[in-house]
Amino acid sequence: MIKVKGLYHSYSNDDKYAVKDANFEIKKGEVFGFLGPSGAGKSTTQGVLTGLLPIQKGEVTIAGYDIRNPKKEMFNLIGVSFEQSNVYDKLTAYENLNFYRKLFDVKTRKPKELLELVGLDHVANKKAGEFSKGMKHRLTFIRSMINNPIIWFLDEPTTGLDPAIASEIKEIIKKEKEKGVTIFLTTHNMYVADELCDRIAFIIDGEIKLIDSPRNLKLKYGKKLVEVEHFENDILKKESLSLIEPKDKARLNDIITAGNIEIMHTKEATLEEIFIKVTGKELK
Amino acid sequence: MKRILAIVGRDITSGKRDFIYAYIMIVPFVMALVLKAIIPGVDSTTINIAVLDTLEPQLIEYLDEFAKVKEFETVQDIRVRVSKTDDYLGLVKKDDKYNIISQNNESEGSYDFLELIVNSYQKDLYIFPIDIEITDSGWKLHPLKQQGANFLIIFTTVFGGMLILLSLVEEKMSNTLSAINVSPASKFEFIIGKSILGLTIPIVGIFGILLIIGFEGINYLMVLVVSISLSFISMIIGFVIGIMNDEPISAIASMKMIFIPVMGSVFGAMYLSEKLMPFLYWSPFYWAYEAMNSIILNEATWPMIFKNCSIIIFITVLVFILLKNRIKRGLN
Repeated sequence: MIKVKGLYHSYSNDDKYAVKDANFEIKKGEVFGFLGPSGAGKSTTQGVLTGLLPIQKGEVTIAGYDIRNPKKEMFNLIGVSFEQSNVYDKLTAYENLNFYRKLFDVKTRKPKELLELVGLDHVANKKAGEFSKGMKHRLTFIRSMINNPIIWFLDEPTTGLDPAIASEIKEIIKKEKEKGVTIFLTTHNMYVADELCDRIAFIIDGEIKLIDSPRNLKLKYGKKLVEVEHFENDILKKESLSLIEPKDKARLNDIITAGNIEIMHTKEATLEEIFIKVTGKELK
Repeated sequence: MKRILAIVGRDITSGKRDFIYAYIMIVPFVMALVLKAIIPGVDSTTINIAVLDTLEPQLIEYLDEFAKVKEFETVQDIRVRVSKTDDYLGLVKKDDKYNIISQNNESEGSYDFLELIVNSYQKDLYIFPIDIEITDSGWKLHPLKQQGANFLIIFTTVFGGMLILLSLVEEKMSNTLSAINVSPASKFEFIIGKSILGLTIPIVGIFGILLIIGFEGINYLMVLVVSISLSFISMIIGFVIGIMNDEPISAIASMKMIFIPVMGSVFGAMYLSEKLMPFLYWSPFYWAYEAMNSIILNEATWPMIFKNCSIIIFITVLVFILLKNRIKRGLN
C-alpha cells in the first residue's frame, strides 16, 4: 500500500536532510510504526507521504498513486491525524466533522457516530474552541476516520491524552487494523509502538536504522534473564538469573522448589532499551 | 462544486460568530446612512412649498413644475411645517393676494424664486419668463453625494479582501489548512470557496450604498461589472496578506496599507489636474473611480465601462502573476 524508495527531504533545499535515503514498504493491513525521538524526521516523512511536503528526491507511492502528482482519488483513500490538534475553534465538534465530510467523494461516516466513539457526543454542539487539549485531540483523531480511509496516517495519536482515553484510542486503532486498514503510525512512545505495530522502524537524525517486528527485536536484543524476588530465611532477596548458565538455572530451580517467590518475570528488553542499543540515543 | 459550497458554508458559519465579520458587513450601510443624512441638508436646492389643499389646482400644478409641493388642511399646519429646520416655504391665499410664509432661515433666493413663480402665474405667464438653469460650479450632483458614494463604493470592495484575509488567518491560526490539504479539495476549489464571500458581500454592500443614498435611475448592470472587476484586486491582496499573517490584528493592520492606494487614487482623481492624471493610471482604483463616476452621473457607456474594466483586470492579472507563487506557497 505504501512504497518509499530513496526518499530525501531538506527544508532548506540543500544537503541538510531532515530525512535521508528512507526505504520501506508497508503491506495492506499492516501497522507500521515510525519510532524516534523528537526531531528525528518522523513527521517530515509523514508530511511527504501525505503530500503536505513536496517530494524532492526519491519515489513514494500511496495505494498505487505517485505522490509527486497526488490525485483527488488518493486523498479519498487516506486519513491523516495530526500531532497538533487542528480544528476550527469557532465551529462546534459536529460542524467540524460535518464540514470535513463534505470535502470527500466517498461514503463518509456519520459525525455523531464518530463523536460517540471517543466520548465527545455530549459536547457535539459545543464550539471546539471551548474544548480541552485532549478533547481537541480526540476530535482531530476522529476527523481522520470520516472517509473510512484504507490508509491511515497517525502522528502521535495518544500523546497528551490521559491513560483511559489513550487506551480507548488504541482500541479504535486495533479495530481499524482488524478491518484491514493500513496504518502508518509515528510515535516516540515505545509502549504504543510495542502494543500496536506489526513492524517498527527506528529513525534517528533522518535515517532509518532498523526495521523489524517488536517480537523479533526483543528476541534479538533482549537478555535471557529472569528476575526473581523471594524470601529466604525471612529476608526478601532479589536476584537476576541467566536462563542459559547452568549454575543460574540450578539456582532458579531451587528457588522455585522452595516456593517463597514474591515476584518473578523474564527480563526481556524494552523497545526503548533496544532503541538506545541500536541508535546510541534515547527516545525523548 | 460541493466542496466549494462547503468552504463557503463554513466561512459563513464561522463569520456569524465573529463580530469583525459583522462589522465589515454593516459598515458600508452605516456609512451610506450617515452620508444620506448629511446630503439632504446641503442638497436642498429644490424649493419645498407647503400650500392649503383649497388652493386653486391650476396654481398647485404650476408650482409643481418648479418645486416640490405639499398640501395641508390648515394654515396652522403650514406654519408648523415651515417652522421645522429644513427648507420649506408656505404659500397661502388671502383676499386674492398670495402670502409667503417663511421662517427666514431658508436658502438664499428661495423666497425670491417663489415670489417670481407666483407673479408669473398671476400674470398668466404659463411659460416661465426666463430660462433658469441651476449650476453649481460644474457639479451635476451634489459633490458629497457624487464623490461620497463613489469613494464609499471603492472602499467597500476592499472589505472583500478583508473578509478573505480574516478567514485565511483563522485557517492558519488553527492550522486547519493542513487538514484541507490532505482532503480531496484542490487549491483551486479552496481559493474559489474562500473568494465567494469576498466577492458577494462587497457587491451587496455597493448596491445597498447606492440604494440608500438614492441612485435609483443608474445602470446597475454596469455597477455590477465594475464592482466585480475591482473586487478581484482586493481579493488577491486579501489572500497575500492572509497567508503572510498569523493573527487577525496584524493582518488587518497590513490590510490598512491598501487604503493608501485607494484613497490616493480617489482623491487624486478628484483634485489633480488632467495633465497629472497619468500618474494614477497604474491604480485599478483610479479606473474604477472613473467608471463609477460616469455611472453615477448616468453618462457611462458600455465601451467606456469595458475599457476601464479591461484595464482593471489587466492590472489585476499582472499583480496575480507576480504574487501567484507566494500565494501557492502560503497555502501549503
